[in-house]
Amino acid sequence: MMGSQLDTMSRPPVHHCVSPASLFASLLGLLGCLALTGCRQLPALPRVLFVSVGTNADQKIDANGLSELKADMAFLANGFRRIDPKTVFQLSLYSDDDLLPVMQRRNRAALGPDLFLINGDTSRLLLKAGLVQAFPTTREELNRFTPATVHRLRTAQGQLAGLPAYLQTQLACFNSRRLPTPPGTLNQLLAVSAAGHQVGLSLRAADVFWTAGSQGAIPGLEQAIRRQQPTAAQLKTIEGWLAWLQDASNQHRVTFYADQAMAEQQLARGQLDWLPCRSTSLVRLRRKMGAALGVTPLPRGDGGEASPMNRLRVWALGSNSDALARERAIRFARFSTNPLIQRELTVSTQAVLPTNRFVEVPELSSTVLAAMVRASVQGEQAARLISLLEINDPRVASAQYVITELVFGQLTPKAATRLLINDLINKP
Amino acid sequence: MIQLLLEILGWLGYLERPLVLLQLVLAIGPMLLLRWARRQHRRPFGIPEGLLTPAALALLALCCLLLAALRLPYGLTSLLGGLWLGWYGLKLLHPVLLLGIPADQVHRLESRLLRPMFLVIAALALMARVDSLHDLSLIPVGDVLDVTLNIGDLFNAILALYLVLVACGPPAAGLAWLMHQALGISEGSRKAIELILRYLVVGIGLVAVGIHLGLNPTALIAVAGGLSVGLGFGIREVFSNFISGLWLLFEGSVRPGEVLMIDGEPCEVRRLGLRATLLWRDRDNAELLIPNQTFFTQSTTTYTASDRLRRSQVTVGAAYHHDPETVLALLEATALQVPRVLHEPAPKALLISYGDSAIQYALRFWITNPMNNIGICSEVNQAIWRAFGQQGIEIPFPQQVQYSMVWPPEQHQTNTGTP
Repeated sequence: MMGSQLDTMSRPPVHHCVSPASLFASLLGLLGCLALTGCRQLPALPRVLFVSVGTNADQKIDANGLSELKADMAFLANGFRRIDPKTVFQLSLYSDDDLLPVMQRRNRAALGPDLFLINGDTSRLLLKAGLVQAFPTTREELNRFTPATVHRLRTAQGQLAGLPAYLQTQLACFNSRRLPTPPGTLNQLLAVSAAGHQVGLSLRAADVFWTAGSQGAIPGLEQAIRRQQPTAAQLKTIEGWLAWLQDASNQHRVTFYADQAMAEQQLARGQLDWLPCRSTSLVRLRRKMGAALGVTPLPRGDGGEASPMNRLRVWALGSNSDALARERAIRFARFSTNPLIQRELTVSTQAVLPTNRFVEVPELSSTVLAAMVRASVQGEQAARLISLLEINDPRVASAQYVITELVFGQLTPKAATRLLINDLINKP
Repeated sequence: MIQLLLEILGWLGYLERPLVLLQLVLAIGPMLLLRWARRQHRRPFGIPEGLLTPAALALLALCCLLLAALRLPYGLTSLLGGLWLGWYGLKLLHPVLLLGIPADQVHRLESRLLRPMFLVIAALALMARVDSLHDLSLIPVGDVLDVTLNIGDLFNAILALYLVLVACGPPAAGLAWLMHQALGISEGSRKAIELILRYLVVGIGLVAVGIHLGLNPTALIAVAGGLSVGLGFGIREVFSNFISGLWLLFEGSVRPGEVLMIDGEPCEVRRLGLRATLLWRDRDNAELLIPNQTFFTQSTTTYTASDRLRRSQVTVGAAYHHDPETVLALLEATALQVPRVLHEPAPKALLISYGDSAIQYALRFWITNPMNNIGICSEVNQAIWRAFGQQGIEIPFPQQVQYSMVWPPEQHQTNTGTP
């Protein structure tokens, strides 16, 4: 008794409080042991496939937006579970602007996703940054897609940055109760505005770029992006395009919006009658506007068809996956380009178009699908130009600056043309 | 909430990745090693106790460098190491804070603000590595008054309320101090104003959080009405204590700094809380928690209601053969010599009674701090002892004469003085 007492007294005091660090360490250790030993042997344990979705600046991701995206994903996931019931999908959304730095941080910790659902140009950027792996494909597999689509995803080294999943198009949304006949040309658009209808346009260069095609300015811009001087005629069309934008900005009932989500809200509330919109917004607008929502292709102009920047969404493989997860991700991506699934996705959502060229889109049964198909054809003239520009190219920011200054009347169309062409040719 | 749980369970899927496990092992290894060394009282490589944690952190940093050199992911190890370093940094901050802030405030700052904030930031940093915080914040948790609350709203609301509760103290104290300086209000009033300001800020914070969450003010009023009925029945005592506390605060009778007599002992009010008042008893350094409504419903003696003066008294006996006038004068003169006895009002000596062995005198005097009563009484008693000694005034012991009785009493004779 005395001995034990002495023994206790001779020891320095032992602190029994558990520090958070040790508690955390113990917990992680336990989880690690579970994962290493028991869990792998459990027969019905789900396999998690981590999917990161890039969202665009015009997409407002609130609770509704998130549930819409999850519903789209659930459609594909449920289909895939019919052939692989153990797969569980863990979805995370990031804005395109944040994607690169966030994924660099996660990849440094080996916690990157197994699969990305992102824009085609973003996939090339991530491939260049080593955040995604080139998608392994065969010639037969690539034959499912148009050469132009595949070209958009090829890097200079010939690697495929991702597998085309679906196409989001840019369209014209209007309130059919207030504007029974939508404008078919740019002149009609201004006339409609002069007649008292509220028109919205985007201040973002990528979202207002469709007007460049209508004014025939694409060849000149493409020339400048290739760092070659456009011809005098091409310069004139570019100036004409910018002059039209400034004219539109001077119209009393034409409003330029920096925030696409806000503009869509105003359309839904009846404060706007006409607005260019993304096909991904149709589900939300349809829910709010019901039968009043009208959808058409964007208006053409004197210079030709509109040139919407349609978004090619692709599946890209994350570089942190282990072999099993990689194999599962590839199977899932291939499954989603299956003609049956693509057709089902197109018809059920009426918000995206298939990338598989063998899928017949039932245009006759839906004016929305018909408008989207038309928009995809219109967008081909912009596709070449998109493949020439990386999303982080400093010239994109320059073009945005010029458009903003022009719309607010700080630059004349002539000065804006000079500045834009100079930046496109000379800016590194 | 199920959605959130599923999301969290999904993160376990990362443990299927060997490189994640490797990073975890390399991060946890030094932590466990340190813990083992501390438990076993070992000093690996003779490292002193104080340098064990820095050594473990250095080992962890070395592991990160090794992973980086091998071109393997190291972000998780470095993040966990960084968090550990941050926690250790908080411990190092402790003596620095003690240089400028009182110990009890440092303890409160650390336990209520710094450590909880650090843990929240650490949790968010870890979650940001495995998921999108924005997505998580959008997960709905339920409907309140027709408003769908999601995790982000709830987190922000709780964080804002917590910060308001914890962090409103220093600004309120600062404002009260300014008023104290500018208006010359008493110390007790300063503390009362500080408390009222804190309640005000917390109240405004609650309303602001409710409005931020989009709660309908009409519905809030309806809920408040319902709550008042509930309060009437269910938590009447709590509510009664809260209201009593507010009332006492405005009334000014029980404010921090006041001295009250509790069970015959002077006690100083330290804090007037929502439910109870905390008092400090000097005699045994005890802290008493007394429900507010006790002061509201029962009579209490206070020495600090209109001023902080207390009239104290000591009693002493002097032998019968000393002239009372001489004794009374000596007592009053003696009291004036004790430093903490006030000269004005002047001490007053009184002849109280003729006792069995001595004439009983009382010496009444005034002091400025009621909490010092016992100490000053002791000083006065000591001074009387010395003064009586010097002047030859006797403090008689009680004297009794014992003699044997004879039975029957008729046979009893005068005591002979022998036992």
